[in-house]
Amino acid sequence: MSVIEVVGLTKCFGTTSAVQDLSFSIEPGAVVGFLGPNGAGKTTTLRMLLGLVEPTAGTATFAGCRYQELSQPLRHVGAVLDGSNAHPGRSARQHLHIQAAVAGVPVVRVDEVLDCVGLTGAADRRTGGFSLGMRQRLGLAAALLAEPEILILDEPANGLDPEGVRWLRELVRRHAADGHTVLVSSHNLAEVAQTVDEVVILNRGQLVTQSRLDDLTAGKGPIVRIRSPRAADLRALLTAEGATVTEVGPDGIEVGGSTAERIAAIAAEHAIPVVESTTETVNLEDVFFALMRASDTAEVA
Amino acid sequence: MPRLVGIELLKLRTTRLTYGLFFAAIGLSILFAAMAAARAGARSIPPLASAAGLAAVSVVVGYALLLALVLGITVSTGEFRLGTATLTYLATPKRTMVLAAKALAAAVAGAVFGFAGGITTTVVGLVFVAAKGDHVALGSATLVGHIAGATFAGALLAAVGVGLGSLVRGQLGAVIGVFLWTVIGESVLDGIYPSIGRYLPFTTATSLAGSKVGGAFYAAGGAISGPAPLPFGAAAALVAVVAVLASVLAAATTLSRDIT
Repeated sequence: MSVIEVVGLTKCFGTTSAVQDLSFSIEPGAVVGFLGPNGAGKTTTLRMLLGLVEPTAGTATFAGCRYQELSQPLRHVGAVLDGSNAHPGRSARQHLHIQAAVAGVPVVRVDEVLDCVGLTGAADRRTGGFSLGMRQRLGLAAALLAEPEILILDEPANGLDPEGVRWLRELVRRHAADGHTVLVSSHNLAEVAQTVDEVVILNRGQLVTQSRLDDLTAGKGPIVRIRSPRAADLRALLTAEGATVTEVGPDGIEVGGSTAERIAAIAAEHAIPVVESTTETVNLEDVFFALMRASDTAEVA
Repeated sequence: MPRLVGIELLKLRTTRLTYGLFFAAIGLSILFAAMAAARAGARSIPPLASAAGLAAVSVVVGYALLLALVLGITVSTGEFRLGTATLTYLATPKRTMVLAAKALAAAVAGAVFGFAGGITTTVVGLVFVAAKGDHVALGSATLVGHIAGATFAGALLAAVGVGLGSLVRGQLGAVIGVFLWTVIGESVLDGIYPSIGRYLPFTTATSLAGSKVGGAFYAAGGAISGPAPLPFGAAAALVAVVAVLASVLAAATTLSRDIT
């Protein structure tokens, strides 16, 4: 059974349709990137999943149960939405003590999670003085308190410095390695590419695709860029070999379906001088933007 | 439910605003009780040596009770103002349970406000009586009864505040609204229609503490000759109905709104 199942989910705010007939499912233990540009409906979907926003139509369930029906929701699902959502006048420790009491977990977990997110030193400071990155860490600490099976993170990298982003990536990987499910939203595919193994991509409130990350990039690379005074001759030879060659300017070509080594060997065999050879691996950002463009075009059509 | 109430009380204990409102309640109670005591005996105001004169000082708990009401409002509206409602409802998705727990926790805190207000004004009255060398004209049972009434009124008004705050959600608007209603609105209505004064909710709540109709904020209460307040049971029932009504209305309308 899917651990998260979204079926025909729709949300309208007045006449604005934020999410339209969205369906996807997530299997246990998967680390899934929930992607889309700003305003795509990611946060609204997550809030519907978590029972904070009432869907106009459709359902969003955890193993068949709506969030509101879970007996101990914090033990099943840990969520970070909008940073920590902590009272600015409370210290991080006070905030986590309250959350521990709510979740019904022993107070000893507070120190454990503070240590886990690197906030032990700031535990007794008021959260009102925290940076955005510290608030994100505090939000994660609260979400991890009850050691939930599912972690839902809405744009968790916002406000984190590069070291923080790496830390977050490792935390998500550790959580996943323990067999837990993670759904992490982002507007940047490249940002989550090293963490997730599956993506659900959203644009204008509609599903663009749900796919494994490998499948998303399959058949899209790498490309070798060549500059040569005899580019036309080289192009003919490579085309005869079955490579896909595109002309770029008077002395440049882009070659798909071959490798830099093979191209160098053919050029040497035919005494064709090669001035420049650059291999470009598939760019996830380009893949993402291409998907967005395709979905925009489909909508216009 | 007891666990949820305990959590709401823990939230109150770890919020500076709670202490700010509490000390403001004590300070205003001292100030206005002292002013009432200083004026006792002047012109038509009964002297402190009389039962009416001492009661006019010992029951000036209007501000303590008003701040209990404000505390109740902040308990529910604060969650939306500070964005903490998201976590609260993630932890307890059944929102009516949260509302009930907040009302009960606020009632406990409101009772503390009412009790502190009652004790403070009584002590101020007794200090002035002692300073003038007068005898204490009110029996201890009466004084304790007034303090108990103030405690009960504080609890009920804080619960009313939670319901109103859930209904309105905007903290500033709700607080300004209750200030205008309690300090001006009820006085004006009482002035225009004296027969309804004792049925107005805040006035009724203060009458639980022994205040005369119209005498809750600034005494000279002894000089007020309005209609008699409602009997204790009827007054308590009326304020409790307002608390329940506000909460039920909130549960039926604003409580299910999206948390975006």
